Amino acid sequence: MNSKLTKELPELVENEVISKDTATRIESYYKSKRNDNPNRLFTVFGVLGSILVGLGIILILAHNWDVFSKTIKTLFAFVPLLIGQGLVGFSILKNKSQAWKEASGTFLFFVVGASMAMVSQIYNIPGNFSSYMLTWVLLCVPLIYLLKSSGLALLHVVFATIYACEYGYSYGSNIPWMYLLLIVIMMPYYARLMKRRSKSNVTSVFNWLLPLSLIITLGTFIVRFDELVFLSYVILFGLFYNLGKMPIFENLKLRQNGYLVLGSLGTVVMLLMTSFKWVWKDVYGIVRSDMGEASLVVVLFVATTFALIYLFLKKRVEKANLFHFIFIIMSALFFVGLTNAIIPTIISNMLLFALGVNAIKMGVDKMHFGVLNYGLTIVAALIFCRFVDTNMGFAIKGLLFVVVGIGFFVTNYVMLKKQKNKEEEL
Amino acid sequence: MLFVLVAIAQLFVPAQMILGEEIILDTGTAYKFRTQPIDPSDPFRGKYIVLRYEMNTAASGDSLWERREDVYVYLKKDSLGFAELAKVSKIPLAIENDYVVAKASWYDRNKGEVHFNLPFDRFYMEESKAKPAEDAFRNAQRDSLPNNTYGLVYIKDGDAVLKDVLINEIPIADYVEQ
Repeated sequence: MNSKLTKELPELVENEVISKDTATRIESYYKSKRNDNPNRLFTVFGVLGSILVGLGIILILAHNWDVFSKTIKTLFAFVPLLIGQGLVGFSILKNKSQAWKEASGTFLFFVVGASMAMVSQIYNIPGNFSSYMLTWVLLCVPLIYLLKSSGLALLHVVFATIYACEYGYSYGSNIPWMYLLLIVIMMPYYARLMKRRSKSNVTSVFNWLLPLSLIITLGTFIVRFDELVFLSYVILFGLFYNLGKMPIFENLKLRQNGYLVLGSLGTVVMLLMTSFKWVWKDVYGIVRSDMGEASLVVVLFVATTFALIYLFLKKRVEKANLFHFIFIIMSALFFVGLTNAIIPTIISNMLLFALGVNAIKMGVDKMHFGVLNYGLTIVAALIFCRFVDTNMGFAIKGLLFVVVGIGFFVTNYVMLKKQKNKEEEL
Repeated sequence: MLFVLVAIAQLFVPAQMILGEEIILDTGTAYKFRTQPIDPSDPFRGKYIVLRYEMNTAASGDSLWERREDVYVYLKKDSLGFAELAKVSKIPLAIENDYVVAKASWYDRNKGEVHFNLPFDRFYMEESKAKPAEDAFRNAQRDSLPNNTYGLVYIKDGDAVLKDVLINEIPIADYVEQ
């Protein structure tokens, strides 16, 4: 795109759209920007190379060579580790380029894991996979800050997520509190990235990876009080949506703002689920509760409310935009659901319908086809869910479809008439 | 410099693991646990065999065992060096016997028995040998009457290291090659 722009420059100058001076300045700006690129490529290739070599070493060691004695195996456990540390030490001491630091750090990350794996193999240590992962990640945390390495920070989030899944989902009722600690440890680095390089690719990757990681792991925190799961997810998506509307994310493109996209999509998916009656039947039939897990949801709710209040103070809340408030409505509905399963089901359907129609209207107003199609998809998904819903009689369902369909015709007619009136007035 | 500390920690953890295991191997008591192997694999640590020990139940009057609760398994040795169960308990007891800490799996109310898994249930093997090891065990089982496959485990102060798995007194890795 940049080169396309620079190619256009002579034409723009010729037609006196911009001055010659501006043209040279634009050109030199892009030239200076391009100078960073080779460096970035080195970094990416360096990190990829380190990941592959590191994983390769782990795999080679995992063969569990019988021919080697215990001493040689022990040597194998330490030699790669020492090499990795040597490389990292060298790049810190000599203050090498960022590519050096990223690549050596990534390599060290993997050989730390390889070393511990090797010792487990030698002594048949009954491996609790999650504690192995946790020790590994913790041993490499300081490297993120020492090397200011985004590659390591990304690996950290990925491995912390794997740890939380191993710990939380595979053994049942375990809550991976350490995962939260691991994420908090990484936050200062992320904050620094957001501040200094909010538009860079790495930051965008974080903007997607972090919410995704939280979405994946949230389920591990609620194990005893199952009925809270959907509510906690609704609130989490509400949090992401509101975070995505924060001033710091304002100038980002949609594809750089994972919070907004995931928050919006997640909210719709959760509403689609709660548009079925069985979710609310479960809520209605709650027999046991768990205060610990309930308070976790309360914390999440408070955090989201604070985000909303902040947005409100900064005048960033679009009053007509339901997405901001869904989490409050759904939390209220949860309490209604304790005494009644039908009302919340109906309201969920109405909310979803309103969201869909709202998006369609916004899309039409702004002539934005992405938003328009999003709205259409929401309505279509809602229609499909109701069509296959077996909880309703066919006659009622049919009647509902006809009524909503006629509703669309009528609105269309009214809008058309309005438009004609306007044209006639002109 | 901070990096030196990090590097030392990274070296210390595996070194500490090694030291702990070596102490047990050097000064611990050896027991034989009758077992049967099956082979799965671990993404980072390669192929291993899971050992299903014959010692997995104990009579217990206490019926309130929770899943994954610690079980202190106290041991004694028969004349051939095989481990026998002396006693199980929820808390450490003040008796001379060696013990290991197992995890409870479930409680059988009808028989009044607690089921548990001994902790040293992984034996890493060269990747080509893990599956044959499982088969070799099954064949060996057919030849002779009693279960003649056992794990050789060193125990000290409640910590255990699985040193080797033997079929008919031959280390399983060699047995597979025959």
